[in-house]
Amino acid sequence: MYWRYAVRRILMGVVIYVVIIFIYSALFNTVMDQTLNSQIVEQVNGEMMKMSQVGTDPQYLLEYRQRRISELRQLYHLDDPVLSRIFWRAIDTLTFNYGNSTVMRSFEGETDVLKIVLERIPNTLMLFTTAIIIDILIGVWLGIKKAQKAGRTMDKTTSIITMGVYGLPSWWFGMVMIMLFAFAIPIFPSGGMNSVPPPTTFFGRLFDTLYHMALPIITLVFIGFWGRAYLTRNIVLGNLQEDFIMSARARGIPERTVLYGHALRTSAPPILTMSLLSLLASFSGALVFEGIFSWPGMGNLYWSAVQMNDIPVLLGNLSITTLIYISGIVVLDLIYGFLDPRIKVGGKA
Amino acid sequence: MNKTNRVAKQLKDFWDEFKQVKFGIAGIILLLLFIFLVIFEPFLTPFPEASTRWRDITYWEDNPRSVPPVWINWFSQKDYTPTEYIEDLEYTEQNISGPITMLNTVIEYQYDYDIPPVDLIYRGTFKGNFSLNIVLERPDGNKINLVNKSFTSNTEKDFRISLVNESGNNVRSFARRYVKNLPPRVDVNTVLFSQADGELFSNPTPLNGTYKLNINLMKMTEETVIEDTRLVVSGSVSGLLGTDNSKRDVWSGLLAGIKWALFIGLMTSAISVSVGVIYGVVSAYYGGIVDSIMQRIWEIFINIPLLPVLIVLSAIFKPSIWSLILMMSLFFWVGPVKTVRSMALQIKEETYVEAAKALGASHRRIIFRHMIPILIPYSFASMALNVPSAILYEATVSLLGLGDATIVTWGQILHDAMNGGAVTNGLWWWVVPPGIAIALVGMTFAFLGFAMDTILNPKLRTR
Repeated sequence: MYWRYAVRRILMGVVIYVVIIFIYSALFNTVMDQTLNSQIVEQVNGEMMKMSQVGTDPQYLLEYRQRRISELRQLYHLDDPVLSRIFWRAIDTLTFNYGNSTVMRSFEGETDVLKIVLERIPNTLMLFTTAIIIDILIGVWLGIKKAQKAGRTMDKTTSIITMGVYGLPSWWFGMVMIMLFAFAIPIFPSGGMNSVPPPTTFFGRLFDTLYHMALPIITLVFIGFWGRAYLTRNIVLGNLQEDFIMSARARGIPERTVLYGHALRTSAPPILTMSLLSLLASFSGALVFEGIFSWPGMGNLYWSAVQMNDIPVLLGNLSITTLIYISGIVVLDLIYGFLDPRIKVGGKA
Repeated sequence: MNKTNRVAKQLKDFWDEFKQVKFGIAGIILLLLFIFLVIFEPFLTPFPEASTRWRDITYWEDNPRSVPPVWINWFSQKDYTPTEYIEDLEYTEQNISGPITMLNTVIEYQYDYDIPPVDLIYRGTFKGNFSLNIVLERPDGNKINLVNKSFTSNTEKDFRISLVNESGNNVRSFARRYVKNLPPRVDVNTVLFSQADGELFSNPTPLNGTYKLNINLMKMTEETVIEDTRLVVSGSVSGLLGTDNSKRDVWSGLLAGIKWALFIGLMTSAISVSVGVIYGVVSAYYGGIVDSIMQRIWEIFINIPLLPVLIVLSAIFKPSIWSLILMMSLFFWVGPVKTVRSMALQIKEETYVEAAKALGASHRRIIFRHMIPILIPYSFASMALNVPSAILYEATVSLLGLGDATIVTWGQILHDAMNGGAVTNGLWWWVVPPGIAIALVGMTFAFLGFAMDTILNPKLRTR
């Protein structure tokens, strides 16, 4: 039954997420303690500054400082044993309580890490879903063409390009594309999401964003579709060698129908999962890509957080990236299980 | 047939098949080329210490800053002056009076270019007390007294005269003879290497011919020693791949990066694939509860997004190249596990494994002697295919400035290029080559991996 499979798969995703968060929490325990500690001291110092202006007894101030620091340390569980700290940090992370950033601010100037990360997610998703849809369309189309003419010149040359692109860093290609099409031949903007200042009308803004999206998307698609085509080719080719294709051909069914009706229909589920899996794989690779195009997404956030050494933002961003990543895998499995009834046992493709 | 013979025959069969795959051969040729470049690295670069002194600015100070490679002269209409080193200068010695000795040398420099060099640098080491005078005689007969300077030191020391810095005033007064109103900034080398006329600044014409650089050194004491003198023509083009904005030779850096790329790639993929293969086999062999636990652990690892974790780990712990390899291996081993497990499940049922079990062979012996050898071809294919991603991950982490600062990798060169504004200023020789190098190594191993894959899955070859 599909819904039972679905519930089990989702639960498993949740469990895995919880386990990973515990691993992160253990791994980054010391660093987070240090950051929190300095944040507490800073906060208390700030409070003292305000109080001392009224002219209070310095003895009382010192006492207050000590009391306040130990209070806050207790609040953040800093005096607890290590294991309990790891536990509480994981619980905090799981409830999206990432704390405050040390340097970075959200677009509105807030220090809440969750807000900083949340406002970036739509930008990342917008860029990558668009790129990946175009990517899959071109890749699958080319893959079918390659399978149809396997071993011929077109198949061979595109396969060689695939291998050439295999080790190519997408962000490097982005750098070259910017150099070519934003500076040498200035037809695209060099980065960002909107012009400065952004257009005021809705449509003006929309077109401006699309215009800024064009170069990153062209780059991503150009790097991406070769591998997809190669995979599609292999899957379709594998199916074309099956007996049912032979019998279809023997029955005199037109080649086109054999290809699209028979071979492609059986190939669809694996092609879809493979494509979506590589979408997830490219998700993390493409994060760096955002930095190159200064696209204000999650990847760019990693970039700037690394530069400013803002640990809470890095960890918060990492937790949310992981959440998105795992959700992606779960959704993928659900789609796959729906398409291919044989795979309702819980594994992955 | 004994065992070594059997292995040799298997290898030969594999090689015979491999030979049929053209791009596999291309991969091997490329790999040999890279190995050749690694071995002969010190002989292929004008800067043999590039690998160890990459971040040492004194090592690079004589190079011009951000200039393109020499071969752009083939494509551009105007010829740029390449960098040249004039070494082994011979001096005529002449005693003047008492302890004072005069050393003199004339360097003849043939200038056939259109764009003058960036700088002329005269340097050496000395101890004692001497004064230096440099006079330039141009092909048109003009003589310009460029530098007069004296040096004193009790210990052995370097001296370095950059004509652009030292001769500014003398060159200005020379130029004033021809042009009334000098621009606020006078480019020394444009004046020195252009025809002396009224258009010296508005539209300079290059003055080609032999330039004579008359260098006079006057030793003030008998103990004065002057050694290792040389003249560096810091060109307006330099090296095989130009220089970056820290005056470093990009070609030398690229060459130094090969060994690290290969090392990182091969180490990471060898460790991770070995671990992954053993993990998959063990999981399949024991089955039952062991298998489920191992598969759950595997699932947790496959659900961690690798790159962000690597970035955060590197940002927090500032790793060396070793810990980076270790961290990558920690996440890469998941790759082959599923395939290996399904293959091992089949091998487990083979009769000879049953026979070995019946004969009382230990689990370890069955796993390592009977099951894993069968998976070796597959392991090699996936190792080859893993190499590019390891290199790519290292490059990406380095791009963010989180690499190991004691070595030179292509990712770090690209990081410097990114920060140095190479993209905005169009310094393509600094951006394009490292990326192509990464892609080429990636392609090499992709060729090898896909070739092995084609042999292992004959189904995919043609229809």
